[in-house]
Amino acid sequence: MGITHLDVPPTHLNVVWDIRLPRAILGAMVGASLAASGASFQGMFRNPLVSAGILGVTSGAGFGASLAIILFQGQPVYIYVFAFGFGLLAVGLSYLIGITYKSTPTIMLVLGGVVVSAIFSSLIAFLKYIADPYDQLPNITFWLMGSLASARLTDILISAIPMSIGVLGLLAMRWRLNILSLGDIEARALGVNIFIAKGLAIFFATLATAGAVCVGGIIGWVGLVIPHIGRMLVGNNNATLVPVSVSIGAIYLVIVDNLARTLTGAEIPLGILTSLVGGPFFIYLIKRTKGRGW
Amino acid sequence: MIKIINATFSYGKENIFHDISLELNKGEIFCLFGPNGCGKTTLIHCMLGMLALSSGEITLAGKDVSSMNPQLIAREAAYIPQMHEKPFPYKVIDMVLMGRAAYTGMFSVPTTSDREIAEEVLEKVGMSHFKDRPYTQLSGGETQLVLVARALAQQTPILIMDEPTAHLDFRNELYFLETVVKLVQDTDLTIVMATHFPNHAFYFEGRNLISRLGLMNDKRISIQGNPKAVLTEENMASTFNIKSKVISYESQGKHLRQIVPLETI
Repeated sequence: MGITHLDVPPTHLNVVWDIRLPRAILGAMVGASLAASGASFQGMFRNPLVSAGILGVTSGAGFGASLAIILFQGQPVYIYVFAFGFGLLAVGLSYLIGITYKSTPTIMLVLGGVVVSAIFSSLIAFLKYIADPYDQLPNITFWLMGSLASARLTDILISAIPMSIGVLGLLAMRWRLNILSLGDIEARALGVNIFIAKGLAIFFATLATAGAVCVGGIIGWVGLVIPHIGRMLVGNNNATLVPVSVSIGAIYLVIVDNLARTLTGAEIPLGILTSLVGGPFFIYLIKRTKGRGW
Repeated sequence: MIKIINATFSYGKENIFHDISLELNKGEIFCLFGPNGCGKTTLIHCMLGMLALSSGEITLAGKDVSSMNPQLIAREAAYIPQMHEKPFPYKVIDMVLMGRAAYTGMFSVPTTSDREIAEEVLEKVGMSHFKDRPYTQLSGGETQLVLVARALAQQTPILIMDEPTAHLDFRNELYFLETVVKLVQDTDLTIVMATHFPNHAFYFEGRNLISRLGLMNDKRISIQGNPKAVLTEENMASTFNIKSKVISYESQGKHLRQIVPLETI
């Protein structure tokens, strides 16, 4: 490798290769996953206010992680598995609620997501209440704020699989999302099997988000607002919006994560900074583009 | 092109319509006239295979709708909905391009030839200059023409419209009807159009289209045939409890008709 010629101390090399680079890659993937899922759900549910967590994946994952912290003293592997598993479970429940009533599935899916999220939020509160206040409770609280601090190469390899499948799937379906955004009746009349198309889009978005949440904790803002920044830049056509959201989400989270790591002596939880940095930037963009695209 | 035999539909125990039969040939236009809630939209959804009949049969271009998947149906019949909500400010051309969904795979995007088709049909309805405009900024009449273009992009022999002029102003309604007439003359489309205005059927007849009209009431199509035979003062009184007057007049060498409602009975 070229760098070794430059008399770089091996500890620096280790820091870059084993700690910083994996973390940057993970940050990019998490940002891409949340933004792609957010853009897709907004399109599919015809609602600009929904985010990647609309079907309950974040609350479910939060509950799974909290449970693992209490049951297994916070061993990372258990946290990943529980967060991922309960994230999928929550979306599965929302989906089951959504398809029981056939004629207006979209509103029922959203309602299902709201109900399931509320249930898991209560369960999280319950776990916090019974958790050991000196050890487990701070752990749960920090996990829920989101962070990439614990990222190791193995974490990336495990969580990269669902995130990649999810993001690539959504990218492949990006034009179909336009059709789904017209509503069930028109999408169906245009020749789309809405049951399959919606199911697939939800499946990919859930894989991506659950993969992101299980390693990164609950990171707000990205899934909600990054797609809107994309709309201001390139318009509403999902065929371009989804890839653009993926790129912006990836870049944005790497930048914010670097700030989280370097701004103060101790790490600031990522979930705090994403909106704190993003808010003013969003306002600036609205001024610059005069809300074009909306 | 379209054949309906003894179609009956019920939601659970509630019957919506029963024993509807209808046959439409290529290039014919069928106006479905009836009050709100008489089942017009349900019948249209059945024709598009979105709802399954309780009994009876509907065939599009000789094929049983209940045995066709959405993609195949969308290649036979295009649909212009009654209410169209505008979820996102897509560009007009992107909106028209969505008519190509039945020819585009789940994981694909439209091809260059799809784009050419979209531009062509946009030209056909006279909306080319709106191509790059957000379609949320269009007026009701312009939106309706974009939806016609999207339907044409599906390249189907059949076009099914649900009260397409319901939200149009006086001039745009006329312009919309003129566009429909031109389409039928140019392309031999078979059209089903639900409408609240019986004079639409007279209008199409006056423009030399093969125009037919069905009066839908009491959960069935009670009378159907050519407009002159169906739209009579007696039928309006017996079917809809309306006292009316049919007037005929000469215009540009043609014998035209209008029905004027006078009072409810």
